[in-house]
Amino acid sequence: MIKWINLAYRNILRNKRRSLVTMIAIAVGFTSISIFHGYINNAYEGLRWLAICGERLGHLRINKAGWKEQGKLEPYNYMFSKEQTDQIIRLVREEKDVVLVSPQIQVMGTVTNGLTSIIFIAQGVIPQDEEFINKFWFDVVGYVDEGYDEIIGETLREDKTYGVLMAKDMAHYLKMKPGSNGIVMAQTLTGQMNAMDIEINGVYDTGNDFSNDKFMRFNFNFAQSLLDTQSAERILVMLKHWKHTDRLYDLLLKKIRNAGIDCEITTWRDLSISYNKMKSYLDTIFVFLFFIVLAIVLVTTINTMSSTIVERTKEIGTLRALGMKRKGLSNLFAVEGALLGCFGSALGVILHTIEWTVIRLFPLHYTPPGLSTPVAMRVNMVPWALLALMVCFIVLSTIAAIIPARTAGKKNIVEALGHS
Amino acid sequence: MALIEMNNITKDYHLGETVVHALRGIDLQIDKQEFVAVWGPSGSGKTTLLNLIGAIDDPTTGELTIAGKKMQGLTDDQKSEHRNETIGFVFQEFNLVPVLSALENVMLPLQIKGASLAEAKKQALMRLEEVGLSDLIHNRPAKMSGGQQQRVSIARALVNNPSLVIADEPTANLDSETARMVIDIMRELNEKDHITFIFSTHDQRLLDKVKRLVRLEDGKIMDKETE
Repeated sequence: MIKWINLAYRNILRNKRRSLVTMIAIAVGFTSISIFHGYINNAYEGLRWLAICGERLGHLRINKAGWKEQGKLEPYNYMFSKEQTDQIIRLVREEKDVVLVSPQIQVMGTVTNGLTSIIFIAQGVIPQDEEFINKFWFDVVGYVDEGYDEIIGETLREDKTYGVLMAKDMAHYLKMKPGSNGIVMAQTLTGQMNAMDIEINGVYDTGNDFSNDKFMRFNFNFAQSLLDTQSAERILVMLKHWKHTDRLYDLLLKKIRNAGIDCEITTWRDLSISYNKMKSYLDTIFVFLFFIVLAIVLVTTINTMSSTIVERTKEIGTLRALGMKRKGLSNLFAVEGALLGCFGSALGVILHTIEWTVIRLFPLHYTPPGLSTPVAMRVNMVPWALLALMVCFIVLSTIAAIIPARTAGKKNIVEALGHS
Repeated sequence: MALIEMNNITKDYHLGETVVHALRGIDLQIDKQEFVAVWGPSGSGKTTLLNLIGAIDDPTTGELTIAGKKMQGLTDDQKSEHRNETIGFVFQEFNLVPVLSALENVMLPLQIKGASLAEAKKQALMRLEEVGLSDLIHNRPAKMSGGQQQRVSIARALVNNPSLVIADEPTANLDSETARMVIDIMRELNEKDHITFIFSTHDQRLLDKVKRLVRLEDGKIMDKETE
């Protein structure tokens, strides 16, 4: 085999310019796909963190069984009692891959500044858990896109239960800012209207245009008081790594049910509409781009190999006369194609690394659809993807060489020897 | 048993509507160890005859047996194996692979056969020594004269120890002195290794060196002369 690789290598060097042009075409195609893949890989990562930490979905969300179907209509029947909440928290905390278990409650109602009222959706959360999520996000990712979740004022505080956070568009409409006072009104679980005074602790950006005019965050105890309950609507679970999601889903569901609490668990993937939609959208574009680039590279390589084969028709005739079989001839050109693919891909990896470095040093900023703040365009270096792409391009170049080589192999030997 | 047996061989070429009868009923037997020249004017069918004997072309009709093997009905792969094992080729334009050295060119038929690198190298060096090119084994064809290239070509034809070497106008691109030298080498190998040589030529000055002459005219054998 080595002798044929050696021969193929020398044949590539025969027409250096043509081989170089082909390798550059392969390298550019390779880089186009790899950079876009690196970009969407980063986007998925960002969207994942946005869903898990930004949207506060956690990796897993535990609700009472039936909550999805009936929870909105009969909330009082689908809440965890304080005992159940404590028991679930204890059971979940036993798992080593769990980093946070936090009870939450959702409140819907109206908020007024005394003049104007707006409908709100508020998450009742435990302040120190909120801080933990923000810190966890930053510690793991290493960055949080600038602007996102930036709080003007101060965050929630355990010792100031009436202090709330208000999304920035809502604060803008109500002309409220940190220190402003207002009133929130909501129905208790038993259907009575309840109203409580609030003070705006801080104004924040949800990161999403669709939620910036309606979201608030309350202290968990404050939300319980507003709903007149000691229960929790759900329990948010954060894991060390998102890849543990499915395993922990099965394990916790079984464990909690075995403890006699009938519950349902939802993963962040099922909860985050934006992640799924965006992933599907980017995946489609990637596949589209991938096949376009592949077709261009395939045609370019076939063209190169066809020219090479025409130039070497006499040599093909000689090799066949010396006893080389058609398959052997195809293999010889296949090795040439594979080498072109290999060198082209290697050049592609170098180009990818250069582009990756430039993008890392000088990131472009843009505002993705649905998000309220610009994010930096980042490209991930994904070694397995580069390797897979290399294999893909080598196979592609090999196929591109075999196609014309098979035709050449079928050529009459006498005619091939007479080719000038 | 003859090495080559041709019975009533014809070969037609179709050029559009026109049919060219390149060979018209050839009956020929060539025994082992013969040194045969096929001689005739241009277009007489010399190359076609050699192509058929070399199993790189098929006759239109007739029966062709080489080294006891009937050529009709063989698959392309079987013919390739037959050529590799039984026949050596020497071409008018040498047909060496330009990116390979003299040694590597000579090793090629053995490597096609699947011989080990060491074995191929050993055989190739031996054949290159026989044709007097031991000093130029690492030279590529572009750095060799026509005569040297043809000697490499002869070494390549012999490296598999074939029963038969076919040379189509091996001296056509050489000056008369080199041409005589090439024919002398072929003759020497024929006598020493008992390899059958069949070559075509225009050059009447070389005919005194052959043991047997086959004269072709208009696709027919005119007469057969033996030295």
